[in-house]
Amino acid sequence: MEALRGQKLNLIRELVLKDLKIRYSRPVLGFLWAFLSPLLIVAIFYIVFGLFLKVKIEEAPFVLYLMSGIFPWVFFQDSVLKSATSLMDNKNLIRESGFSNYLVPISIVLANFVIFLPSLLIVVASSLFIFKTLPVFIIFLPFILAFHLAVSMGCAVIASILYVKWRDLKYILEAVMYLFFYLTPTCYSLSIVKESISPVLFKAYLYNPLVGILTLYRISFLKGFAGQADKYMILPLVIVIQLIFIALIFMTAFYLYKRNKHTINDYLSY
Amino acid sequence: MSQKAVILKSIGKRYPFAKTPHKDVSCGEFWALKDINLDIDKGSVVGVIGRNGAGKTTLLNIIAGILKPTEGTISINSKVVGLFNLGIGFQDELSGRENIFLNGAILGADRREINDKLSSIIEFSELGDFIDMPLGSYSQGMRLRLGFSIVTNLDFEILIIDEVLAVGDALFQNKCFERLIDFKRLGKTLIITTQAMDLIERLCDRAILLDHGFLIFGGEVPEGINRYRKLLNTEKFFVGLPQQKKPGLIENTKKWADNISDWGKKFGGKEIVIDSVEFEDKHGSKTNRINTQDALRIKVYFTARDRVEKPHFGIAMFRKDGVYCYGPNTEFDGYAIQELRQGKGYFILDYSSLLLAPGDYKISVAIWDKNESLAFDHHYGYYELKITGPDNKKNGFLNMPLEISSSDVGYKLLSLFTNKRDSPDIDSDLLEDKFGQAMNDNNIRVECAKFLDNNGNKKDIFMTNERAKFIISLDFKKPVNKGRYLWFGIYRDDGVYCQGAAVSLKNSKNYRVLFPKLSLLPGLYNISIGIWDSIEKKFLMYHHGIYPLKMVFDKQDHGTIYLEHKWKWEVH
Repeated sequence: MEALRGQKLNLIRELVLKDLKIRYSRPVLGFLWAFLSPLLIVAIFYIVFGLFLKVKIEEAPFVLYLMSGIFPWVFFQDSVLKSATSLMDNKNLIRESGFSNYLVPISIVLANFVIFLPSLLIVVASSLFIFKTLPVFIIFLPFILAFHLAVSMGCAVIASILYVKWRDLKYILEAVMYLFFYLTPTCYSLSIVKESISPVLFKAYLYNPLVGILTLYRISFLKGFAGQADKYMILPLVIVIQLIFIALIFMTAFYLYKRNKHTINDYLSY
Repeated sequence: MSQKAVILKSIGKRYPFAKTPHKDVSCGEFWALKDINLDIDKGSVVGVIGRNGAGKTTLLNIIAGILKPTEGTISINSKVVGLFNLGIGFQDELSGRENIFLNGAILGADRREINDKLSSIIEFSELGDFIDMPLGSYSQGMRLRLGFSIVTNLDFEILIIDEVLAVGDALFQNKCFERLIDFKRLGKTLIITTQAMDLIERLCDRAILLDHGFLIFGGEVPEGINRYRKLLNTEKFFVGLPQQKKPGLIENTKKWADNISDWGKKFGGKEIVIDSVEFEDKHGSKTNRINTQDALRIKVYFTARDRVEKPHFGIAMFRKDGVYCYGPNTEFDGYAIQELRQGKGYFILDYSSLLLAPGDYKISVAIWDKNESLAFDHHYGYYELKITGPDNKKNGFLNMPLEISSSDVGYKLLSLFTNKRDSPDIDSDLLEDKFGQAMNDNNIRVECAKFLDNNGNKKDIFMTNERAKFIISLDFKKPVNKGRYLWFGIYRDDGVYCQGAAVSLKNSKNYRVLFPKLSLLPGLYNISIGIWDSIEKKFLMYHHGIYPLKMVFDKQDHGTIYLEHKWKWEVH
């Protein structure tokens, strides 16, 4: 049992390394892109929403607000979209050996997580630079990261298994991700949402797990955001909902994997 | 009683297929294996043989635990099973070294184990500095070297090797072979599939013959190989809907007569009766002796007793031992004969050039129903035809026009059949049991030997009737003695010698064999080259049957060689 776990950990490490090497060994700038590409995305959003559309956020400086929303979102989106096709993409690896298929999407999420870390560093550093101090809630960041990682892994495993039999999923997921990106308050403030929808809907909006995790991230990054959020919602409830969501995702992933693990390889050849 | 390494009990494997847009193709599911019962002793070497698509790879994948059987039980009394299948488990973007770690991790080895074995893996693969190049730059042979080195250096108790060894060059193949023998000595269990029967013969204790997903034989190796050869001769493999022309290229043809003990018999329902058959040479005179590469007309007179619908005519030509030379019929050639009414008639098959070597041949003449399932009249191996010309028994049965020359001293035509004086009488029988093997010489080394396309790139798949060029580059330390010849031979993959040619070895290093029309029918072939010493009457070196060649064609046919022909018929 011990040996088997060692084998799996070793395999995950090799798969993560493989993914990172493939992504960053050829470009001249190499791993620097892990810093550059999130910064470029934020720059684009800042130009469009900050300069052209003149979006005003009362909670925090707009750039920080954007970063704290976009970076976690990009991590989640890349993880799920890349994982969805991962069993097919890596079928020549999978078909050699009887190893557990779910390790492939998990390794993709972990590789994306490694890439996500530099952008976290950027947000924390910028927050420290602008506010000259960090909120006390920064100590919860590791837990929030763990929540987020768990949700991403669960979704990744689910998507990868479904995609093997149902190839339309890729396109549907792309559209859904796009939709969710704009539905979550990444580049606009909560007050705008409050003004536009009924109070009941607004409650549902606040407590849904996707918005919830974003709120938690912001509380840990942005000084004073906790006070703002407190006006709208009960924070412990957000955390409880988050935990329930993780449990649901995990159960679904586990169930799907258990049901399909023997037939996945049959579908991989074509 | 010896311990069992693998026990399979009534294993079946069904593949689910996604629904295809082609409604007429009903392949909702497909049983790749059915009711397989098999015990494999610990420490034994088992060869799994069978035609393409017989279920070999599926069986190996099930034993390796990659696929789950749909029914039946499997028990493996060993923790570690390694499967080696070329092109699987590698990542092109990573270097050879990085791939060793990745592949090792997939096969279940930890980093420390791989680190310990890294140097022996690299050393065995002989890849040298290439080990740090991206795998994408590797040739198939180099991938084989790397993959084989990894899988055989890790500690597996059961090793499964799926049809890969043919890619390596002769030297490495020998090395692999030695390594596998070592494995066997260590008491490990080995399961291999390959189409190289000599490998099975040399290595295996036991042969398993699969066909259409059924295990049809398990036992002594020679018996298994014999049965497999018979199987190859008897049946068209893809039994689908014959009247539906399948799009795509034909990849194999029938290569043997069904049953030569039936030669000289007549079969059929006699709705039509073949009255007589005549052979005419190029001058129009009746004879059964035709010069090689000459024209031949076969004229068949028949009487239809009843009206029959959609018949077709066929004439097949066999060598005396049952090797299928060519068997065109009007169905394959796309003629649609709606019906034959009662009365007399005849049909004619005109060959413009018989590209068969001198010797005795048997001819079958038949009038079939549309699906070639029911003969109206079938005179099976009934007629004899002698092809005449310079006698060269040891040069195969084909006589395609070819030029073999040293590209340094200009063209030199040397077809062994037309130019007896230069023929060195190469005794290819000396190589009889050496198929797939190589012997090297200290002085002469083969730098490269390959088929080229028009742009000078390596090519090993040709269309029937395509122009083909094979080049051989040699390197020698000392000048070669007189009386040495460079020999080139084409073999079918079942070991039947098709055609050979030779050129005397000057001190030139580059040679080429040019086929203006390579008219081999679809299937797999192997090229042999060798250096023949005509004084000592022996081969100084040979690479026998190790350069693969694949032929494909857009037209269905039977036999080994395509002969230009025309049909005519008349019914009164």
